[in-house]
Amino acid sequence: MATNSVNIEELKPHKKVKFWAEAKRQPFLLISSALLLLYGIIFYYLPVVGWLTAFQDYKPAKGLLDQQWVGFDKFVKLFENETFFLAFRNTLCMGVINLVFHFITAIGFALLLNEVRIFIVKKFVQTISYMPHFLSWIIVTAIVRDVLSADGIVNEFLMKICGNPQAIDFFAEKAYFWWIVAFTNVWKETGWNAIIYLAAITAIDPCLYEAADMDGASRFQKMRYITLPSLRPTIMILLLINIGNVLNAGFELQYILGNDVISDVSKILDVFILDWGISQFDFSLGTAAGIFKSVIALILVCTGNFIAKKTGDERLF
Amino acid sequence: MKKTKIAAVMLASLMSLSAMAGCNKTPAATTTTGAGGETTAATDAPKQIKEFSAFFAVPAPSEINKDNEIQKIIAEKIGAKCNETWLTGQKEAEAVGVFIASGEYPDFINGGNAMTSLYEAGALVAWDDYIDKYPNIKEFFSDYEWSQFRQSDGKIYWMNPFENIYGDDKTTVQNGEAFWIQARVLEWAQYPKIETLDEYFDVLEKYNAANPTTHDGKKNIPYTMLCEGWRYFCIENAPQFLDGYPNDGSVIVDVNTKKIVDYNTIPTAKRYFKKLNEEYAKGVIDTQAFTQTYEEYISKLSTGVVLGMCDQWWDFSQINDIFKTQGTEQYGYNYIPLGLTIDKGIENQWYTSGGTLNVSSGIAITKSCKDIDGAFKFIDDLLSQEIHDLRFWGVKDVDYKVDDNGLFYRTEDMRKQVADPTYKAKHICNYSYFPQWSGTSRDGKNAMMPTEQPSEFKQSLPEPVKKVFEAYKVDTYVQLLGSVNKAGVWYPMYSYSNNMKTDTKGGTAWNKMGECKHKWLPKVVMSKNFDKTWDEYMKAYAACKPEDFLAEMQVELDKRIAAYEAASKK
Repeated sequence: MATNSVNIEELKPHKKVKFWAEAKRQPFLLISSALLLLYGIIFYYLPVVGWLTAFQDYKPAKGLLDQQWVGFDKFVKLFENETFFLAFRNTLCMGVINLVFHFITAIGFALLLNEVRIFIVKKFVQTISYMPHFLSWIIVTAIVRDVLSADGIVNEFLMKICGNPQAIDFFAEKAYFWWIVAFTNVWKETGWNAIIYLAAITAIDPCLYEAADMDGASRFQKMRYITLPSLRPTIMILLLINIGNVLNAGFELQYILGNDVISDVSKILDVFILDWGISQFDFSLGTAAGIFKSVIALILVCTGNFIAKKTGDERLF
Repeated sequence: MKKTKIAAVMLASLMSLSAMAGCNKTPAATTTTGAGGETTAATDAPKQIKEFSAFFAVPAPSEINKDNEIQKIIAEKIGAKCNETWLTGQKEAEAVGVFIASGEYPDFINGGNAMTSLYEAGALVAWDDYIDKYPNIKEFFSDYEWSQFRQSDGKIYWMNPFENIYGDDKTTVQNGEAFWIQARVLEWAQYPKIETLDEYFDVLEKYNAANPTTHDGKKNIPYTMLCEGWRYFCIENAPQFLDGYPNDGSVIVDVNTKKIVDYNTIPTAKRYFKKLNEEYAKGVIDTQAFTQTYEEYISKLSTGVVLGMCDQWWDFSQINDIFKTQGTEQYGYNYIPLGLTIDKGIENQWYTSGGTLNVSSGIAITKSCKDIDGAFKFIDDLLSQEIHDLRFWGVKDVDYKVDDNGLFYRTEDMRKQVADPTYKAKHICNYSYFPQWSGTSRDGKNAMMPTEQPSEFKQSLPEPVKKVFEAYKVDTYVQLLGSVNKAGVWYPMYSYSNNMKTDTKGGTAWNKMGECKHKWLPKVVMSKNFDKTWDEYMKAYAACKPEDFLAEMQVELDKRIAAYEAASKK
């Protein structure tokens, strides 16, 4: 950028005049970038003003600036609450599990699907696999609850085929919950998440495969040494973006499938915010928790980016 | 976070849109029944009908159809109708929070435990200037009762619509809490006297050993407990009753010392949960008790497999209609309330006669209402005897008949009909969260509610329940309990704790205590080593600082006693 302007200056002595002339020549570009800037300001930066409520004792009837300021009281209240840390741990764990499963299954699925020779079958499988993505989470929770209930298909199978003496109450065992959440996410999102990898695979230069064929590479070797390395930049970028989302480990699944028996593992930050923030009309506490989440997400993304930079991989910034 | 934010904004705008849509209809209709209107009345010109909107922060007790017949009749008689909306999916605080955030409200609102938040948000219209203008509203409470509704600015903003008795008390049903037992169990055990928790479980076990299934071969569940969300009172507040105290809900008040007592830590609480723990180990208690949702619980009850549970009548009474329409009530699946105590010889107060005034919530009129006088008139009209009869008895000769003495009664067909959910939705319009009377009708003969009409009540009972009444020589459900009423002037204390929020120390403790009990009570009941788990629970409970909560309740108790003494001196 800097070098460019120096170049222009060297070539053309009347910089100011040149700038306006240049601007006149590309009004569309300028307008569209201005719109984008405006969009960013309105939808990403202005709402941050709402963070002020975290430092107030916010009461809905009054204006934002007529509130009583309480400094860091709400954060203190937040950090004094044991449930908050429990919820934070659960969110982090479920987020990480989801992230790992998300990548393994989506990439694996894309690789396998790519090897399917018959076009019709490939399209058919792909379509079916991404259909669940369009179901709302509420429907999905109902399905999961049903499938795992005492007289659901899983228990029927375990009792009639595997000979379990009695039905397993899947929602009364702490050990199962995170895996139920992870599996449900896999079921719902794998097909959808694989699409971007399938697209990236089509962009790989066919010469590479032809060369490998000449050298006598097997299908598996082509997958291992050509497809996967070619996907590496895509994977890294998506990984960095998704690391920031680790603390958004879902809401509906945990809110609806959780219960008192397993609340130690099922309660996540968003449910905590609902219980202690919105339900108590303590919007300030909810905002404080939201800020905390954002800060953690920022740290995670920056760390991930830093590591990517060090290892010479593709990165966000 | 971002996703939830966007969803919240969209939800808010959707809600406010629908709220606005509700309100926009209102101003168009004004009372224009001048001289001109009367002269043209013969030409069948459609009468102006005001449309109000209402939101009640509870799941719909029973949704009515858009073209409900009685709603239309009432609208023609009083010139107004109200479109009711209910809580769907969210919690009351969320729904009310969205209204507050948007600043747009329906004409009527009952925010449940979030009423004070509506008041603080300046959303409500003060009633003081209106009450005297509307005789039926004024009549609903005594001056002292009205004064209890006053908020911090000294004004009245809402009235509780329920449990108010006109004339003689005709209460038949125990609407509140009890340990319930199926009629078939009592019949099999030859109607024993069951007074304590131990005797209760003893009967359940023995019956189940002798009759392990229902009439269609389903396996019985001797005892279940509902623990989902706010409904976990079904498991947590029994100790207060077992010790012979009334339903102050969140605390016990020691009548002699006028001091607040925490029922979570009294010896009776430990004995009660120990009993549950033993029964759980024996397999008497439903293994899914702690994971079931309310819907699962209700559908379980309506199959008749559950022999007993602790609950409040209104929370499960819809299953009586299901038994009736399914034709299964002959098997004795209906529930009979028992006034249990922890030991013999304690007077119980499961039922407190004379109505209960819960000042913490009620119906309010909002600032968004364009026709405030019209709204008050609507409430006033709903309380007039003619409309009240329409709401609860229905249409004469269709839903009830009148005998030569002027007593209302129903035929068997009518009874079946009004129990049918489809017919109810099409025909019956209770306006069930608007003010309503129980007790005796203004004609001095009939009951305000069909369920309280002595002849009607007896007739409508299923055969097995009738037999129970005969065996115990009682006429009503409440007589079965044998409760005494010694509730103090402060009763019920829950009307204060219901509104507590985390903005006070006590409120924070209250929320933490709730969270702690939700988490630990299942553990306590399922524990293999009860005493150890109980001690751990008590430690976790003490860490919630219940003393902060109790101190605030003590202040409120003292305030209520002082207010009563001041009022009675006048």
